[in-house]
Amino acid sequence: MPEFRGLPEVRREYQWLASCLPFCSSMKHKIKRSASLLLTTLVFSMGVLPIPSSVGIAQVQQKQNSQICTMDKQTISAFENRVKNYVKLRNQVKAKLPKLSKSSTPEQLESYRKSFEESLRAARVGAKRGDVFNTEGSDYIRRTLKSEFKGKDRAQLREIVFDAQTQAVKLRVNYPYPEPTELVEMPATVLLNLPQLPKEIKYRFVGHHLLLVDRDNNLIIDYMLNALP
Amino acid sequence: MRRFVFSLLILSLVIFGSLPVSHGQSAAIGSKVAARANSSLKLTLPVKEGSLRFAVMGDTGSGTDKQRQVANMMVQYRNIFPFDFVLMMGDNLYGSESAKDFETKFSDVYKVLLSDKVKFYATLGNHDLPMQINYANFNMNGKEYYRFKKGNVAFYSLNSNYMDKKQLAWLESELAKDTSDWKICFFHHPPYSSAKGHGSDQQLREIVEPIFVKYGVNVVLTGHDHVYERIKPQKGIYYFVSGAGGRLRESDVQTSPLVEKSFDRDMHFMLFEVVGNQMYFQAISRTGETVDSGVLVNQRKQK
Repeated sequence: MPEFRGLPEVRREYQWLASCLPFCSSMKHKIKRSASLLLTTLVFSMGVLPIPSSVGIAQVQQKQNSQICTMDKQTISAFENRVKNYVKLRNQVKAKLPKLSKSSTPEQLESYRKSFEESLRAARVGAKRGDVFNTEGSDYIRRTLKSEFKGKDRAQLREIVFDAQTQAVKLRVNYPYPEPTELVEMPATVLLNLPQLPKEIKYRFVGHHLLLVDRDNNLIIDYMLNALP
Repeated sequence: MRRFVFSLLILSLVIFGSLPVSHGQSAAIGSKVAARANSSLKLTLPVKEGSLRFAVMGDTGSGTDKQRQVANMMVQYRNIFPFDFVLMMGDNLYGSESAKDFETKFSDVYKVLLSDKVKFYATLGNHDLPMQINYANFNMNGKEYYRFKKGNVAFYSLNSNYMDKKQLAWLESELAKDTSDWKICFFHHPPYSSAKGHGSDQQLREIVEPIFVKYGVNVVLTGHDHVYERIKPQKGIYYFVSGAGGRLRESDVQTSPLVEKSFDRDMHFMLFEVVGNQMYFQAISRTGETVDSGVLVNQRKQK
């Protein structure tokens, strides 16, 4: 007889907590591979963490990790601010459009999407790659994805991401994601570890590249090349 | 005399033959025709008074003749199994999504059901633009994931394209306070599937299954793989893959310990009927063949 059991929440809790740790774990690998001299130099170059000679490598590593996590928090926070700025702009544009009913006809949907797309493109003239992701944000996301795609589930993850037919997608900021092209499912375990986005914006993979796409008008807001290993 | 009788006969034929039949007669004739048409349909569901009845179809939006044939079969079955609503498992529109596409891939195909006020509740697949959440006939009410309740059954439509923290938090909080007898989740990507096309989405399963188990979800309905599959109960939950309402991947189901029953020779749809603690189901092919049927017993009421 089938019965429901309360599963241990450890796995799930781990997933939630893990969202703020990927860089720490990826750095462990790096640190193991790095010479202690390089590590010490790096820490000193940050000018934050003076290391007494008596401190062991493990302690340095621990402090380094906590320091890097703080830095990552700043990177994530800066990324989220740029996302917020985008959302603010797109909502200003949206506010000027006729309101879309939640029970629209196909004609209304098509017309709304086109007007939203055109108005937003006009408001973002000059937008270019890296405006939202920027270098630090991209580095963080690359490291996070690398760590995810090195894990035990890497084969399944690659299957999900690379099986989709996305060859037709031209990567152009401020242009729409082509309508008839399949959307890649964002693997749930990966999503939990990336910086969270507001509902108006989605991450989307196209091959090895990662895009930010507007949910309501399908515009490519920004993209980063070779996000995946 | 012969001429007179012959003329009288002709006259009576003309007079009586041209008389309109009464409404009652017409209905009787109509029902005979329907009965003849329905005689080939085999229903395994009990059709009990007051029961909750609905249909399930997935991966429909191809706009092909075969999609229409599945839709026509649904209409035929509705004559003997009057269902009130249809759950859509995603990939509601393949390819472009212009206003015309909504017609040729959906509203024209299901015209008869729509005109009979049958409601469709959609979920988003990997071929669906999120704008579909605002389409009136999909009843998503502007939401990528939503819940609705019919009788003692709660339905959760999830967006498996994008299972982020917000959606998971919403799902947990809704399920935690849900006292419905039956909790049914439906979404596009199957946590369990034996199809070669895509197969089990283990990433998704890892995240959602513990929530389903913890909060007593009874049934999970999905699509994505263009086949029919009933999975052996997993951690006490009944899983179905119903992803061949408009596209088929023939001979795609592999031998697997997961499979309870599968069908990959033709397209299909499903019918469900909830009667108290029992949920009857029937999977029907494009040509009307019953490919699977049975009854699920509410897991929580078994104790």
